[in-house]
Amino acid sequence: MTRLWGIVLNWIAVGLAEDIPVGTVVPRRVDGLDLAIWRSGLGRFHAWDDRCPHRGMRLSHGFVRGEVLACIYHGWQYDLDGACDYIPAHPDLTPPKTICANTYVCEPRNQALWVALGTVNGDVPDIGDRIPIRSLDISCGAPAIARYFDHPQDPLIVLNGKYDLAIALQPSTSRSCFAHVFAGAGQDKKIVSRYVEKLRDELEAA
Amino acid sequence: MSDSSKDHWYPVGLLSDIYTPRQTLLFGQEISLTHDDTGFVVKKSSGASLPTIERFGHLWTSLGQPDHDLFVIPEANTPGRHLVDVGSVKVKCSPLRAVENFLDIAHFPFIHTDILGAEPHTEVDRYKVEIREGVDEVWATKVKFFQPQAAKSAEGGIITEYMYRVPAPTCAVLYKTCPPRPKEWDIITLFVQPLTEEWCEVWPWMALYDDDSTMAEMVSFQQLIFMQDRSILENQIPLKLPLDPGMETPTQADMTSVAYRRWLKRIGYSYGAQMVAA
Amino acid sequence: MILHDYVLSASCYKIRLMAALSGQQLELQAVNFHPAREHKSPEMLKLNPGGTLPILRDEDLIMTDSSDMLRHLTRNLPEWQGDDDGWLDFARTLNETLGMARLHDVLGFEVDIDAARKRGVHLLRLLEAHLTEQRFDGMIFLTGDTPTIADIACFPNTALAPDGGVSLDVYPSIRLWMRALRSLPGFIEMPGIHRLHELEAAE
Repeated sequence: MTRLWGIVLNWIAVGLAEDIPVGTVVPRRVDGLDLAIWRSGLGRFHAWDDRCPHRGMRLSHGFVRGEVLACIYHGWQYDLDGACDYIPAHPDLTPPKTICANTYVCEPRNQALWVALGTVNGDVPDIGDRIPIRSLDISCGAPAIARYFDHPQDPLIVLNGKYDLAIALQPSTSRSCFAHVFAGAGQDKKIVSRYVEKLRDELEAA
Repeated sequence: MSDSSKDHWYPVGLLSDIYTPRQTLLFGQEISLTHDDTGFVVKKSSGASLPTIERFGHLWTSLGQPDHDLFVIPEANTPGRHLVDVGSVKVKCSPLRAVENFLDIAHFPFIHTDILGAEPHTEVDRYKVEIREGVDEVWATKVKFFQPQAAKSAEGGIITEYMYRVPAPTCAVLYKTCPPRPKEWDIITLFVQPLTEEWCEVWPWMALYDDDSTMAEMVSFQQLIFMQDRSILENQIPLKLPLDPGMETPTQADMTSVAYRRWLKRIGYSYGAQMVAA
Repeated sequence: MILHDYVLSASCYKIRLMAALSGQQLELQAVNFHPAREHKSPEMLKLNPGGTLPILRDEDLIMTDSSDMLRHLTRNLPEWQGDDDGWLDFARTLNETLGMARLHDVLGFEVDIDAARKRGVHLLRLLEAHLTEQRFDGMIFLTGDTPTIADIACFPNTALAPDGGVSLDVYPSIRLWMRALRSLPGFIEMPGIHRLHELEAAE
């Protein structure tokens, strides 16, 4: 089980679903752990350690072809379970089952993408019918952000207020977070986006 | 860091360039390069002079006590070759990762796409690898690969033959099919200067037969190839080269790198290497 | 048209890319920028006393500013031009920050590296904010839903930011914009910008 902020944590948001279209892969750092998040041709999300078992190249630099993620370095292909199923240098070889990317459970919900770093324990947090705004990097640790909003330390910070914000916080390092921002249905996205930029300026100045 | 890592010759500058003084790092220590009436001078920050060798267009030095001369490449002396200083590029990776990447061909279709390789010609046929005991060098021979554009001098795709040689812990020499003169080898080298264990300065150098390309074109071609590798090198985890098995998974195509790692372990070379699987 | 070119130059790449995307031929003349500093040789200084690259020659016309070159290449292609002035200036600031950080990290240029990276991050945040708002309006490129010279001018230094130690991991809209550019028919890469292998399935 993963402890962040001194409490047992399970689900962490890693992004807006619309920012990870079909056939793409993105990097995410969660509490110092590097992940490659990718979406297959049929739309399924995956969260893996950002490290190819071959020679340690970041899988987040790779490419998606249908239902496999390939490493950019030597083109090794990994299927939906993380198992290597094709090695271009040896096209006729069936790769040993031991060659496998390290995978995590990953669930989309309410247009956000959530990853379970440990054993699945509890439901994916509920953002309700809010609309996705954007993801914003903030050079500030998660505890400080929670304190700023006078909110309990939680992977989902729900703010009552003008824009009906819900911020799913992805702690990247002890001093930085990736904030996945949602607002009340019907809010003006540009106004909310500019508002959270101001919030970021205040948080970073502190 | 083991003392024996220091007891080798390392490249630290271009002979054509050291008319302007240069400060650089070797094994994390600051050194300065100057040129005066006596020739090229390399000094530690304490003021102590270091021994130097001028070879292959580069200035070489050592912080330790090498018990051998810097290696030679006799084939590079055959007349008619262009000797090409490619210039240095800095990379945030272990010097050993830079060498190992140079020895690898399975990445050609993906990293040097449509130049040194292309899908679907990805298969790497079995080749021969040995550690030659007499000279204590790693050699890979009978390497073959289909290349859409093997060299600046190549017209169209050809099957290229390769030989790889590791004559020193952070140096590699490639002998490859020379399109204008099929009986000769083109020679491309990588001399790597360890700045720190996770940061290096790479000095490619070449001795080629090519009477049609300008020097700028030959330099550009090799810089293009190396820079395509740089973003790979800076994104391999861990930064240091693991010398113990466990974390990484070699296949038949990786036999040169397996031999290189085994050889490094055998000669007790640890700078830029990781001994225990993390 | 002749382009005096350096293969690793982000500014030269802008011109190579624009020509490729618009189907125009350029005769490339390689200049040994590094290590020989050929762009500062007497012959090159005669052509461009400013001692910079790229240099584009079209018959008697000699251009030494990459914005001028982009305008020239698209003078008969109105779909590639638009509300670009501000973006061409922005591209200059990307060159002065992210571009210089890259030259420092790769080729050892003397640069105040912390300042260059810090200002580069500030510019990337501005770019991310704008591209995010474009996406709210259903558009993927800087000035609309098709690319213009604004995009071509800003793309190289942005895409190569990691070469200078500035990560692009936290800019989803910038990444999607770069992907849209890399997917354009006729797109050509440069070292540090990989081919999109997804586009060609292996046999």
